[in-house]
Amino acid sequence: MSFRHVWAVTRKELRYIQRDRATLFLVIFTPTLLLLLFAYAVTSDVEHVPLAVLDLDQSPTSRAFIQQITLGDDLDLHSRVQSMDEIEGALLREEVDVAVIIPPGFSNDMLALKGMPLQVIIDGTEPQTGGFAVDHIARRAETFAGDILANQLRILGIDPQAMTPIELRVRTWYNPNLEARVDLIPGLVSMILGVPGMLVALTLAREHEHGTLEQLLATPIGRAELLVGKMGPYMISGMINVVITSAIAMILFGVPFHGSFPLFLALSSLFFFALLSMGMIIGVFIRTQAAAMALSFLVVFLPGFFLTGIFFPLASMPPIVRMEALFLPGSHYAIITRGLFITGVGLDVLWPYGIALIVLGFAFTAIAAFFFRKKLA
Amino acid sequence: MIRRIWSLVVKEFIHLRCDWWMPAFMLFGGALELLLVGWATSRPISNLPMMVWDQDRSSASREIITAFENTGTFRLQAFVEEMEAIEDAMDRGKINAAVIIPPDFSEELTDPRGHPTLTVLLNGAESIPATAALRAIEGVVREMGEQITLERLGLSSEQLSGFTPSLRVWFNETLSEALYTTPAELGLMLEFTVLLFAALSFSRERELGTLEQLLVMPFNAIEIIVGKAIPVILIGFFDFALMLAMVHFAFKVPLRGSLPLLLILAMGYLLVELSKGLVISVISRTQHQAFLLVMMVGMADFMFTGYAAPVEGMPQAAQLYANLVPAHHWLEIMRGILLKGSGLNILWPHALALLILGTIITTFSLRFVRRALD
Repeated sequence: MSFRHVWAVTRKELRYIQRDRATLFLVIFTPTLLLLLFAYAVTSDVEHVPLAVLDLDQSPTSRAFIQQITLGDDLDLHSRVQSMDEIEGALLREEVDVAVIIPPGFSNDMLALKGMPLQVIIDGTEPQTGGFAVDHIARRAETFAGDILANQLRILGIDPQAMTPIELRVRTWYNPNLEARVDLIPGLVSMILGVPGMLVALTLAREHEHGTLEQLLATPIGRAELLVGKMGPYMISGMINVVITSAIAMILFGVPFHGSFPLFLALSSLFFFALLSMGMIIGVFIRTQAAAMALSFLVVFLPGFFLTGIFFPLASMPPIVRMEALFLPGSHYAIITRGLFITGVGLDVLWPYGIALIVLGFAFTAIAAFFFRKKLA
Repeated sequence: MIRRIWSLVVKEFIHLRCDWWMPAFMLFGGALELLLVGWATSRPISNLPMMVWDQDRSSASREIITAFENTGTFRLQAFVEEMEAIEDAMDRGKINAAVIIPPDFSEELTDPRGHPTLTVLLNGAESIPATAALRAIEGVVREMGEQITLERLGLSSEQLSGFTPSLRVWFNETLSEALYTTPAELGLMLEFTVLLFAALSFSRERELGTLEQLLVMPFNAIEIIVGKAIPVILIGFFDFALMLAMVHFAFKVPLRGSLPLLLILAMGYLLVELSKGLVISVISRTQHQAFLLVMMVGMADFMFTGYAAPVEGMPQAAQLYANLVPAHHWLEIMRGILLKGSGLNILWPHALALLILGTIITTFSLRFVRRALD
């Protein structure tokens, strides 16, 4: 493989990207724009969830309870309703996401320590908001019930201190407040950097479609050189994007970076090698850009979004999907990004993922080169 | 005029047949992908690797470990004997949580004045599983604590039954994740399919130099646009029906409302997305550009379907903007009809929004595309 040949192909492809300002702009800034959008969306906190209350007890206790759960910014009392029908209507029209029903006798039961006959209804089509609201209500209800319990026990002459249940000491490492932005934004960075992998799939298809592939093959450039050369510009744009997107994550969204940045760059280049080789396999098989787009969307983008463990932990997925994730450069890169951004580990921990990316890169390139030769022979 | 449009439609289908890979991937590949993604993502968080450092080694400590395992949220990775092992596993991201049971746990537990403690270490590098782990652990500990309280006070569970409120979930009684995730994933696939087909319609002809030929033929701009649009709509509609049947049968997503209403509104939604795709198609000079624009527009819209983060939690400006995103209204309509059995009497604001947005985008698109073609 001669470097001069590879570089010639790279320059040709670079010229194609540069010739049209819009293409150049899109290739460089698509990942940036996507990151801005996603990061903005995932880091917003759930607040001001609208709540409907049906208070059938109308006692001081029930009123105090309603006040207790609507304190703060988390839940907003949207309406006090009079019947179940009203609750149903409000939930259907999505005026509220959660409803609390306080049955008659609420106060008596609570004061007699017979439990808390409370009903919470959530809109199950929005489990994130609903789950948040239930957690919030349960936590406040527990405090509320605890206070009443302690009070009643004191009346009975029992020291409430004697019955403190198990104390839980929770320590959260690396991200003490469990802020989504600290771990989701690095995850998004690794996902969005998959965009060049889709573009590279189009390059060979374009030569096919324009009928210029024969010309290229008639030159003394070898097939592997052609494949590697075509990856060049996307490697460059990818590395530029690594710098831009991590700068945005750190400066704009205040995500800390605890590892070594040079190591991040080095491992990123391995990621692009594996990713672009994977995109190249598509390019070798597909003869039109339209089909290459469809396939790269399905094979590179969607799995990168859903199956690399960014939003959904891989541990919870079926074994087959976890196997598949081993073959996706993105899942290794997601671990690398997380390790360098959040945990601040070094090569001593990350080396297996680096090796995996190298192995995938060489394997994918070999597959692409093999079939490229075969198809043309 | 109809005959001329018909001939254009036939021409488009001939193109599709010549490059049948593209529709095959987008339709059947897309449906299969939906199946895979839906299958993988529609499950509760479970199986999270956890380490336990049991310094107590008593029946009580074993009992609580079993209780953690029984939640299904955890998979017991290993029992360890020192902190270094936990630190190392956390650094490597091998575990999501660790529980340390102190040596006096059972003693404190049996002592009527005792004060047992448990230490939980969470791996904050993955906040979603960490939050789920914390919830599960808190649940177990709360239940155990309640039991201990009862025993210490010598009360029966009837005298002091739990203080946790009972929960009822409407429209998704079993809180199945699939009912929530798969319609959004279906929406994403549908939008990308329609946008991509529409975006390629003119950009492809322009790149390959056949657009001039089309323009010199005796068709006017409207005929060309309609001729290009019909195949895209047909494909989109077929795609929708295919994927709807799939989520219905594979993921048991119910159809509680009226199917005809859903199909009519789907048609309206497809027209809106088609118009967007056509605008992308005439402003991009190459398919490469069209593809990047589709990615950007499609993903931007996806953010407002409430999949990755609920729209209600977004900043005010983003919530207002969400009203301008057709996919946002479409998802509300789809969830409403499928899961809640709502009719037009409840969904009309979204249907109206779709109609208004559709009229504006389509008018703009028609004028824009016509000007670009003339």
